[in-house]
Amino acid sequence: MSAEPDQNFRLEQACATDDSIQQVHAQLQKSKPEKKGGYPLLPLGILGLMCTVVFFGSIYLAHNSLRFDPLVYSEQASREKPGAVKVVALTRAQLGKKVYDTTCIACHQATGLGVPGVYPPLAGSEWAQGSEERIIRIVLHGLNGPLKVEGKDYNNVMAPLGGVLKDDQIANALSYVRASWGNSAPEVTPEAVAKVRAATADRKTYWTAAELEQIGQ
Amino acid sequence: MNSTENTRTEPVERDGRTEQMEIDTSAKWPLLVFFAYAIGWLIVGGALELAAAIQLHTPTFLATCEWFTHGRLAPAAQNALVYGWGFNAAFAVGLWLMARLSATTLRHGGWLFIAAKFWNTGVAFGVLGILAGYSTSFELLEMPRFVVCLLLVSYALVGVWAVTTFSIRNTENVFATQWYLFGAAFWFPWLYAVAQLMLFNAPVRGVLQPVVNAWYVHGLHGLWFVPVALAAAYYLLPKILGKTIAHYYFAPLAFWWLAIATAFAGGSRLIGAPVPVWIPALGTVANFMLVVPVVLIGLNLFGTLSGRYGALNGSVTLRFVLLSMLAFVLGSAANFAFSFPGVAQVAQFTLLSGLRDWLLFYACFSTAMFGAAYFILPRLTGNEWRSPALVKIHLGATVLGVVLLTVGLAWGGWSQGRMLNDATLAFTDVSRAMTFWFTYRTVGLFVLLLGHAAFLVNFAFIACPFNLSGAAPAQINPPPALEVLKA
Repeated sequence: MSAEPDQNFRLEQACATDDSIQQVHAQLQKSKPEKKGGYPLLPLGILGLMCTVVFFGSIYLAHNSLRFDPLVYSEQASREKPGAVKVVALTRAQLGKKVYDTTCIACHQATGLGVPGVYPPLAGSEWAQGSEERIIRIVLHGLNGPLKVEGKDYNNVMAPLGGVLKDDQIANALSYVRASWGNSAPEVTPEAVAKVRAATADRKTYWTAAELEQIGQ
Repeated sequence: MNSTENTRTEPVERDGRTEQMEIDTSAKWPLLVFFAYAIGWLIVGGALELAAAIQLHTPTFLATCEWFTHGRLAPAAQNALVYGWGFNAAFAVGLWLMARLSATTLRHGGWLFIAAKFWNTGVAFGVLGILAGYSTSFELLEMPRFVVCLLLVSYALVGVWAVTTFSIRNTENVFATQWYLFGAAFWFPWLYAVAQLMLFNAPVRGVLQPVVNAWYVHGLHGLWFVPVALAAAYYLLPKILGKTIAHYYFAPLAFWWLAIATAFAGGSRLIGAPVPVWIPALGTVANFMLVVPVVLIGLNLFGTLSGRYGALNGSVTLRFVLLSMLAFVLGSAANFAFSFPGVAQVAQFTLLSGLRDWLLFYACFSTAMFGAAYFILPRLTGNEWRSPALVKIHLGATVLGVVLLTVGLAWGGWSQGRMLNDATLAFTDVSRAMTFWFTYRTVGLFVLLLGHAAFLVNFAFIACPFNLSGAAPAQINPPPALEVLKA
């Protein structure tokens, strides 16, 4: 192209005129490649590539667009029902933890062991896992006086909570107690609490252990 | 040798050359002004970028000066490079290509002077505004709002002449270069005006703002810088090789497919972001679709070059164009790879996410502009490049810098992403481990800046009207007409 090696670094020579570039390419744009027998491979290959990207693009979109729902922000959302909220069923025991942690935990502790000699334990307690009639009454109206739990004597007062907690809150809290720390007793329903509340509507004083032992034999 | 050939040429061909000289004369001063601004911003932006890069491994550097804290310096550098260097270079090269291929002189050069003046005043105020602390929070739209109107109006003044030049063309046919330039001339104002409107004038709510921003940033690279680079490559390859573009009948398909798919591809930047899931998913698919035009453009450009790699030895322009084409393929591959959630999880917020834009803006677009400048400037000024040594320094520094930074940012960014995703590593430990790669990046940027300085000196030699002692007048041979090769 050039006699001196550096000449093209000083000045780049052109090898085609502008108008010939346009004319020739205008012809080329219209003309298809000449067939040399059979099918031209390159256009077929390009057609194949086009089909491939459209095919896989559509599949990706179908899998990941989540039906173009404007309210779905999570890539992990369900493809079948992108907007649907998955309902997770919670047991009464799980729901009751919240009530226990705000109301009962001060005396009976997070471990359910109470405070030795002062507040009786719930973990492993024959009272907590015993008749639901008795423990519903204790929560509703409180308990006063001597009490024997797991062979140890206690003498203290538990405040009545019937005015503070609703039936389902009491049922949930009791279910939590009866299913935690190794306890395994059937859960308490709000209906059972409502029934006891109605039956003892006249009760104004605290229960005693002796009274409760007469109930729910 | 040249002069004897000149006298022997046919009258028709000499007429063609005379016409081209008229075009070049009409374009000379406006385009030299654009080139001068562009190279000025290239140096300023490069220096700011270098300073910002130094701060990443030496945090005390300039830390006491409020104007040069990293949060201001980094966006100022990016804006200076993109709107200062990138746009001025694109204006200069684009207008020249448009005038040459439309076979008409560049009229109303005075308006272009005014436009250049206003555009660069706007960029200067914008960059100073960012340094002074008036930046907005949107990537590549950080310039304070008071310069936006200035930029849009001066862009309109430039764009209108590109479009007018095309519409008064004296040619029957339209070449691929013109499609890309004509398209880009409309795509940028569309992207910029919509982004400004939806982010500042009538801001959209909440999660839509990053969507608009991502769409703008992706579009600016894919629908402005890449088309201008491709326009230059489509012109320069047949022009210098004297060979037609291979498989040219694919070019229209590639053009339309590229334009449409790129407009949807921006969502892929938002993988994992709190936006409706379909937006990144659509972006991923658009990036997947872009494989087709990248393959077709690759067939066009590399097909033209194939069998003629020997010509690279004698041509600095071709070498820059080859670098640009390789970076186009690599940058598109990076966009493709980063649009997969698994890769994005590692690559996001690392050196890698900077690499994808840098590959398209610097390694693809800027190198194409360098190549075009080496071809155009002797024709505009009528002078040869004075120092081949400086040309070689520029070329060598650019190749070295691009290779260093591509390899380094990819490697370093990937290990950075792996470390950031490791919950057992404290952030400070990651930063400390990255010191090597940040230093490495500084070295790479410095190498590039050296090349830019060489380019600036050579440009001053060729363009300055008072410094002609060493610049020989250019002897431009009348080129032969292009013919279809019968295979």
